[in-house]
Amino acid sequence: MRRIESQIDTNAPDYKANYAAMSERLKEFHARQEAARFERPQRDIDRLARQNKLGVRERLKLLLDPGTPFLEFSTLAACREYDGAVPGAAVVTGIGIVQGREVAIHANDASVKGGAWYPHTVKKIVRLLDVALENHLPVIHICDSAGGFLPLQHGVFPDRYLGGRVFRNQVKLSQANIPQIAVVGGHCTAGGAYVPTLSDYNIIIEGTGAIFLGGPPLVKAATGEEVGVQELGGAVMHTSVSGTGDYRAATEQHAFSLAREIVSQWKRKPKTIIETASFEEPYYDPKELYGIIPKDRKTQFDMREVLARIVDGSRFHEYQPDYGTTMICGYAHIWGYKVGILANNGVLFNDSSLKAAHFIQLCNQNRTPLVFLQNITGYMVGREYEERGIAKDGAKMLMAQGGSVVPKFTVIANASYGAGNYGMCGRAWDARTLFMWPQAEIGVMGADQAANTMADVKIRQLEREGKELTEEEIAAIRDPVLEKFRQDVEAYTSTSELWDDGILDPADTRNALGMSISASLNAPIEDPHYGIFRL
Amino acid sequence: MQRIFQIDGEEAECWLSHDGNNMNLNTPDGVIPCQLEPTGTPGGYVLRMRGRAQNVRLAVGPDATFVHLNGKTYAVGRVDPAERLAGNDSGAADDRIVAPMPGVVVSVNAKPGDHVKEGQPLLVIESMKLETSLIAPRDGVVAEIPFAAGDSFGLKATLAQLAPEEE
Repeated sequence: MRRIESQIDTNAPDYKANYAAMSERLKEFHARQEAARFERPQRDIDRLARQNKLGVRERLKLLLDPGTPFLEFSTLAACREYDGAVPGAAVVTGIGIVQGREVAIHANDASVKGGAWYPHTVKKIVRLLDVALENHLPVIHICDSAGGFLPLQHGVFPDRYLGGRVFRNQVKLSQANIPQIAVVGGHCTAGGAYVPTLSDYNIIIEGTGAIFLGGPPLVKAATGEEVGVQELGGAVMHTSVSGTGDYRAATEQHAFSLAREIVSQWKRKPKTIIETASFEEPYYDPKELYGIIPKDRKTQFDMREVLARIVDGSRFHEYQPDYGTTMICGYAHIWGYKVGILANNGVLFNDSSLKAAHFIQLCNQNRTPLVFLQNITGYMVGREYEERGIAKDGAKMLMAQGGSVVPKFTVIANASYGAGNYGMCGRAWDARTLFMWPQAEIGVMGADQAANTMADVKIRQLEREGKELTEEEIAAIRDPVLEKFRQDVEAYTSTSELWDDGILDPADTRNALGMSISASLNAPIEDPHYGIFRL
Repeated sequence: MQRIFQIDGEEAECWLSHDGNNMNLNTPDGVIPCQLEPTGTPGGYVLRMRGRAQNVRLAVGPDATFVHLNGKTYAVGRVDPAERLAGNDSGAADDRIVAPMPGVVVSVNAKPGDHVKEGQPLLVIESMKLETSLIAPRDGVVAEIPFAAGDSFGLKATLAQLAPEEE
């Protein structure tokens, strides 16, 4: 397979300016991530120590195979909610390696609000369990939660994808023969009691772990019975009397050694076989992406330059190189896995949409996973294009993309606007993982367009009332709207709301995709089938 | 199709096959049975062909394999056939730059009479929230840039024209 010949001049002033701008952004991004992982008020750290509990990161270290990567999801979830006081939405999720096997991990972070479930916590846990279901990954739950955050109970409890969905997904996992272990390192009260009880295996840590439908204060209020935590739902009672718990662990260390031992009892299922080649690092340095991504989002850039810094050996077999050129399609390898890549090189026209639809079908026929690299400002608008049927050609692309049976992975590399987000496998379209770059934006339209549209509506309304507006008055209407939209389309808003699985340093994209593809092959790929293509 | 190698700058075509007993080197001049056995020392092999046994040393690099044989070292590189056989781009580049979609001119960076180099930006347009830089398709002289900054244009409008190349 041929190597992409890069045209980038790493000494050009533009390259250097872009590199500096991206480095600045990444400094902020890494600092925010570090803070979300480790910065806690002293009283919370003291409380954990007093309770004789390890922090969630130390627990992960005990659980995971040393020296293996952990693909953490949505580290900055809820970063723009609750005044920033619930870092990571009080839960850590991701894919890690235990005894050489890929597992999905859901671990409450008791250093944040006692591990309480906020609306974003629930969203993050449900997403992790969806990842486990889609990729057939065993789940390890590390339970240590104060329970649902009561002042926001309606945001965590009743709706289809809220609290109940956590337990429903646990049932579906079990039904699909996907094993689960719960390590109980804190209290599992009320609904929380179902996480360990719906797991195939559970381990309770003596002294700190407990499971009950109602804790001691609630029991006293309800029936007048006075009972202590240990008698009511401690490790000894559950593992020797009720049978609710399977294993009693003397310490945290003991608990995680048991969990690892349990994982190694499971039958290893063969992974789905796809085309592979021997592993090759990209020929061009992935860090050069910093200089390639323009500091001004409106500036066009060649996505082949991006591909050359993500795929094995920078090698790419391009499909239909001279047709529908705003849509780059072709085959490459990532971590040795053959993938079909769709990358935007401009607006989606009729021809580029048809090309994408056709290429997606080729990859399904070939059982080749799909990688979408988004830099899309939308499908082309205007009379000429409507007459040529841009809406029906876009529908063909959606039908092919949405109907795909092969695993899909999405990276929002720059712009993700309007229906382009849909066509290019945005969040609603079941990408196995979806990541964003820190400067990327997502919205129905760009911030400027949205602000102008909203301001125009307001101005016309005032004009109808006979009011003539000065430039200053127009600016006074438009500017606050613009400011709000600029924030709304930022990657930090998306990641706060869990519209993605996390923000990536662009240089890490290759590894994040490699791990995602590897994990996806735990699930089989069914035979291709589609709905009706509007021809 | 045989593989294409570049040995010290010269191209050679061949293909290694196996007939169940022996390795065969298929060259345009015929089939040569051959055998390569490791000697146990790093990179050391014995090459048997045409009734002779010779010592060779091999070192594999990212872009070429180095073969030490008869006191001489050869750099053997693989040539990608799809790249090698693609030929040159057909015909000269178009002199005209047409609008890939309707839009607005953001800036004009050249004027009629300017000598421009291939790849040099002539003007920047904006359409669908995206700024695209339109570049000179070849070295030449600008004949015409009909639009000014702020002007809108339609699909396939001529945005710049180079003077015809003199034969």
